[in-house]
Amino acid sequence: MQDKATGEYEVKLGRLPTLTGKPTHYCAGCEHGVLTRLIANAIEELGAREKTVMIDSVGCSVLAHEYINVDAVQSPHGRAPAMMTGIKKVRPDLLVFAVQGDGDAVAIGLLELIYAASRGAPITVFLVNNAIYGMTGGQMAPTTPAGMVTTTTPRGRDLKDTGPVMDASKLLAGLEGPSYVKRVFLPVTPMGSTDLYSARGSLEGAKSVLNAFKVQLMGGFSFVEFVSTCSVNWKMSVLESKRYSFEVLAKLFPPGLYVDKMGVEKK
Amino acid sequence: MGQASGLVQKSMVIVDSEVCKGCSLCVVSCPQKNLKLSESLNRIGYHPVEFHYHGEKGDCTACGLCYWVCPDFAIAEVRRLKQ
Amino acid sequence: MKAETEFVKGNEALALGALKAGMNAYFAYPITPSSEIPETLAKEFKSPEYPEFKIFLQAMNELEAINMVIGAASTGAKAMTATSGPGFSLKQEGISYAAAMEVPFLVVDVNRAGPGLGNLGPEQSDYNQATKGGGHGGYKTIVLAPNSVQEMAAFPALGFSLAFKHRTPVLMLVDAFLGQVKEDIVFPKIAQEKFETPWATTGARGAERHLLLSLHLDFEDQRKHAEHLKSKYEEIDMMEQRSEEYLTSDAEVVLVAFGVVSRLCRRAVNELRAKGIRAGLFRPVTLSPFPDKGLKSLADRGIKKFVVVELNVGQMVYDVKLAVEGKGSVDFIYKLGGFLPTTAEIVHRVEMVSR
Repeated sequence: MQDKATGEYEVKLGRLPTLTGKPTHYCAGCEHGVLTRLIANAIEELGAREKTVMIDSVGCSVLAHEYINVDAVQSPHGRAPAMMTGIKKVRPDLLVFAVQGDGDAVAIGLLELIYAASRGAPITVFLVNNAIYGMTGGQMAPTTPAGMVTTTTPRGRDLKDTGPVMDASKLLAGLEGPSYVKRVFLPVTPMGSTDLYSARGSLEGAKSVLNAFKVQLMGGFSFVEFVSTCSVNWKMSVLESKRYSFEVLAKLFPPGLYVDKMGVEKK
Repeated sequence: MGQASGLVQKSMVIVDSEVCKGCSLCVVSCPQKNLKLSESLNRIGYHPVEFHYHGEKGDCTACGLCYWVCPDFAIAEVRRLKQ
Repeated sequence: MKAETEFVKGNEALALGALKAGMNAYFAYPITPSSEIPETLAKEFKSPEYPEFKIFLQAMNELEAINMVIGAASTGAKAMTATSGPGFSLKQEGISYAAAMEVPFLVVDVNRAGPGLGNLGPEQSDYNQATKGGGHGGYKTIVLAPNSVQEMAAFPALGFSLAFKHRTPVLMLVDAFLGQVKEDIVFPKIAQEKFETPWATTGARGAERHLLLSLHLDFEDQRKHAEHLKSKYEEIDMMEQRSEEYLTSDAEVVLVAFGVVSRLCRRAVNELRAKGIRAGLFRPVTLSPFPDKGLKSLADRGIKKFVVVELNVGQMVYDVKLAVEGKGSVDFIYKLGGFLPTTAEIVHRVEMVSR
């Protein structure tokens, strides 16, 4: 039941034409949904809807075109950075981006990501890192922490067998090519023992998405990793998953500004 | 819940209940506790969120945090009184 | 006055032919025996003679290369890449996606011996992979098979034309010999075609936006899309079968071969004729759509003996059998390992079949 309202109101934050408005397939509380809003907002702020081409990657973001109202091309699993490179070479005037999961970008697509970043290709990759393979039902990812139970590590991930946890932001920050590498903790953050959660992740995320696009428009490679959650595959409630991400993943994947060659965050 | 007393609400949050998945991220992010999950169910089987201008800890300030944390565009609009 | 000829290697002729056809983008990865293609293009990049050639980029593997091609092609540009067997396998994923999305571009496979690393000699063992859809799912592409350096120069223009006309990837299946051999050719004067690409994803226009997708979760959507592709392939089959015939009008026995093997067969036909055997040659120029109409009409006309000559253990021979529909016998000569049959071997076999 809504309280009754009278008077003249203006819309401070409202519906975005860059969103199709279609209800999403994302699980309740998933950061993919939040990121969709942040991206649409940034495209609107830049007035770039008619010169944006989005790549649908393979993973939970495979249906991104259903929600973000821009031209879109589907890429095979992991190949988005190569496809974006091809598009930008022919049409350097376009704004191109892809939302990739940790399987897409850090496993099967790691070579494509590293070389596009190395070349400083003027493209943008948003990595939604929830430390597991979401769309396929909860298998181990290169980003899965030691000991985590997944469907392919039912006794907990053993790093001796499966290799170390991959830190994509640090990996890219070690290359000369990228102009902007940022890691954001996107989920609502538990604040001590209170039942109030901080929304600073979304606000930081919104700025980072906009900065990433600005860097691309200035000719640089931009990458933002969003430490996220996967409550369904982690087998936790929505709020439990935010707490787990804050307590474990934020320490494994520390948020921060890793590379900012164009000083876009200072502006 | 506050009482309607002739004072004009300074802000309001428009909720699109039919797309809400009851994730409650907005509920826990609102400093004034203006948002609560409803008792009833929407068409997709979730308890959608409801906006209450007079929250447990105060009136809505149109801060917009609910808008920014919502993964489903269920927080469709944050409106405030024109100055 | 004799036109000016140039003595050019097959791979180089293909590269230059693509440039003359107005190719815009080439994404490279070297693999023997195809590397002269990107090497020639790298040299010609930035040449004022080819203002349309705007992008040359060497990728870090064949997966990068094919996906860069798809990206460039999605904007409506003319894009191409070339490879050989192991690289061709890597590209199948991309080709399947692109066939589903109906994105046009050119992929050249310079067929070397296989499977695995094989060797560097010519084979025709990628025939099935190229013509039956080497990637997953039910799709087809158009496959062109040049048999001379002259055709290597001319086919890229034909390839782009067919690709954009039908919105499909087009493959060129070239045997390693043809890629490496040098011949005197005259570069065809090609008018660079401008293609309409209303489907290209280059940014929404108002409410209208373009999507190039291959995922159709709704079964009915997927069914409709698959039916659309099926009709397209049927249309291509009706319109684009290409073949060449030599001395078939009064032939009793017809050799069927493509690529360099067809040149050897042509010589064999001449030798057979000299021996009084009425031999002829049917050369498929498109391997997909397979020119079954032409073969069928030969069989219908009463030709009872066909001899297929291939550099593999038997791939095109089955398409020939299907086309002939049991109306004649289909014999088979093969060579493996990168060897070419000699004309004598072909002549001898046809003589045996003719008795």
